[in-house]
Amino acid sequence: MNQRRRKNFNPIDAPSLARWIVIATFAAATGLSYVYLTVQLHHQGVQKKLLEEELVAVRVQNEDAKVQIAALTSRTALQRRLREGQLKMIPITEQSIVRLNISGRPPGDDEVQPVVNERGNP
Amino acid sequence: MKWTSRTRCALVCAFFAFLFSIFSYRLIYLQMVKHDYYVELAAIKNGSRETIPAERGAIYDTHDEVLAQNVPVATVVADGTLLNNPDALVPILAHALQLSPNEIAEKISSHRPYIVLKRELPEADARALEETLKGKKLRGVRCERETVRVYPNGSLLCHVVGFLNFEQHGIQGIEASMDQYLRGADGYRYIERDAHGDELVLYRGAERPPHNGSQVHLTIDLHLQTIVEDELDAAVREYRPEKATIILMRPQTGEILAMANRPNFDLNLRAEAKPEQMKNRAIIDMMEPGSTFKIVTAASALNERKVRLDSMIFCENGVWNVFGRPLHDHGHTGYGELSVQDILVHSSNIGAAKMAMMLGDQKFYEYIRRFGFGDRTGIELPGEIGGLVHAPRDWSKISITRIPMGQEVAVTPLQMIMAMATIANGGKLMQPRIVKSIVDDEKKTISTLQPTLVRQVISSETAALLARALRDVATKRGTAVEAAVPGFTISGKTGTAQKAAPGGGYEKDKYIVSFSGFLPSENPVFVCLVVLDDAHTKDPALNYGGTIAGPIFSRVAEKAARYLDLEPHEEIETKSTAGRVALTNAPR
Repeated sequence: MNQRRRKNFNPIDAPSLARWIVIATFAAATGLSYVYLTVQLHHQGVQKKLLEEELVAVRVQNEDAKVQIAALTSRTALQRRLREGQLKMIPITEQSIVRLNISGRPPGDDEVQPVVNERGNP
Repeated sequence: MKWTSRTRCALVCAFFAFLFSIFSYRLIYLQMVKHDYYVELAAIKNGSRETIPAERGAIYDTHDEVLAQNVPVATVVADGTLLNNPDALVPILAHALQLSPNEIAEKISSHRPYIVLKRELPEADARALEETLKGKKLRGVRCERETVRVYPNGSLLCHVVGFLNFEQHGIQGIEASMDQYLRGADGYRYIERDAHGDELVLYRGAERPPHNGSQVHLTIDLHLQTIVEDELDAAVREYRPEKATIILMRPQTGEILAMANRPNFDLNLRAEAKPEQMKNRAIIDMMEPGSTFKIVTAASALNERKVRLDSMIFCENGVWNVFGRPLHDHGHTGYGELSVQDILVHSSNIGAAKMAMMLGDQKFYEYIRRFGFGDRTGIELPGEIGGLVHAPRDWSKISITRIPMGQEVAVTPLQMIMAMATIANGGKLMQPRIVKSIVDDEKKTISTLQPTLVRQVISSETAALLARALRDVATKRGTAVEAAVPGFTISGKTGTAQKAAPGGGYEKDKYIVSFSGFLPSENPVFVCLVVLDDAHTKDPALNYGGTIAGPIFSRVAEKAARYLDLEPHEEIETKSTAGRVALTNAPR
């Protein structure tokens, strides 16, 4: 009886099964890796997009700040502030101006250039 | 057939093999045979070409002060197909965009994919709105970044800088003439979006980065421009002219240091400006130059050696009947014998006419053209005109007596100052320049405009003689004592031209007064031209170039000399001779 039952069962080809299991595992691992890497790529893409947006935002803020600085320091703005009394200017008198009379002749390497304070007397 | 287990197994395997073969065939068909078709279909459905806008280049003065730059703003756009909670959106958008809730509700109810809710929203407001929408998890509204042009100095230098149209193309001034450099080139990127409208970075296609516009640096010195504009404003308040222009330039290089016109407008409020305010009259207005044109006559006669500075010419005691028409000299009794120098100093029309007649029609015409009249100067500003100079074949009999005193020719203020600059520059006519350099986005200078000699119009000796003769114009002997600049010798010439009427002839009691001169006379650093069209004075007898334009020249030149740190030749007088001659109580 036992012999008959044994005859009716399909014999298991262990090496073949093992081979298929390895192949299936490899295929599954490959598939999962592919999915994982694809998801990672998407994730990196999202991160990249966020960084790009952040960079753009920083650039835009920088531009905005530059515009505000230009608006506050433009000649027109400074003159308006001067008129409103927020700025003061101190006039420079003629006596306070020191002029350096540069010689018309180009000095040599080892020559000392004359520098004077009195106008017209080099 | 015997249905053994092996047979059944084989049949099942065959069935699955057949099934998967069909799938495989379908897969191959879709992925390979119809690949291009479906890729195109997917690109149409989900992909788009995203433009990456280039930033427009800024405009600077010669000392890198900003004249025009970009300010980031946002356009708020709703996608009607992606809105997840329109009712919650309405009050938020209404508050952020300062629009009525009904207006917002009406706009977003259209379910269109691209609904513009507001343009030019300031960057800070756009950021706040985005934060709010993100915090409340509301979808379907986004802020598209762009820039708009701003001009920090408002109306200062408005005609030179110019402005853009709605499509961000320059349509006036440097914005127009340098548009190809300022504009840059937009980049692009092919992208695909998911069902939420977010970009799938993984599927980015071809990409080209934007090429930002270059920066344009002008020869204009904003400090000198301010001096000129302030004096022009004072002159407009005092004399209420219809139009006025002042130009300041460096004769050796042709660099324009300042250029201002009235009426003017605020570049940031250009929608409110009238067309009359937008014209750069220095290059597009024609006028009869009047006596300032006598420098051309005298230069021609001196250069052709028809006369010397001390040659005596009889000026007919004030009235000369020539070709049946009387020609008058201004003044009480007219002049008898005058030297060529005195003809310029006293601005004798008869003397100038006689000098031109010595030259003859053709030769005189050639000199007029050699000075650049009748041609565009080639300055880097759009819309310049060449003026009007008729050829001798079109002259009337009396033209040779009228053109020498600045009638029957039409010139632009820029041409007039170039003629004076030619004398200041030893007879060399330079091409006027207003663009100093062009610097690209990577701070590399791509173009530096060098001084360009157009031609040697008169000899340097003739130019020096003329400069010496013109020194006396701003003395008590001359027509413009009030143009004198304390501490400096100047050479200059006044002009008082009757205003030509549109239908022919001249308008009564309307004059174009001008003064053109350079400083210091011996070694000129700058040339200045002041022109006022139809100035109003209390006393009509004071409506002359020497009494109106002369003092303005004096004040501009004195301030410019101080700024440029020119060393005075003489001791500076404590009180300027350049007082105001009319409406002295006018507010400054």
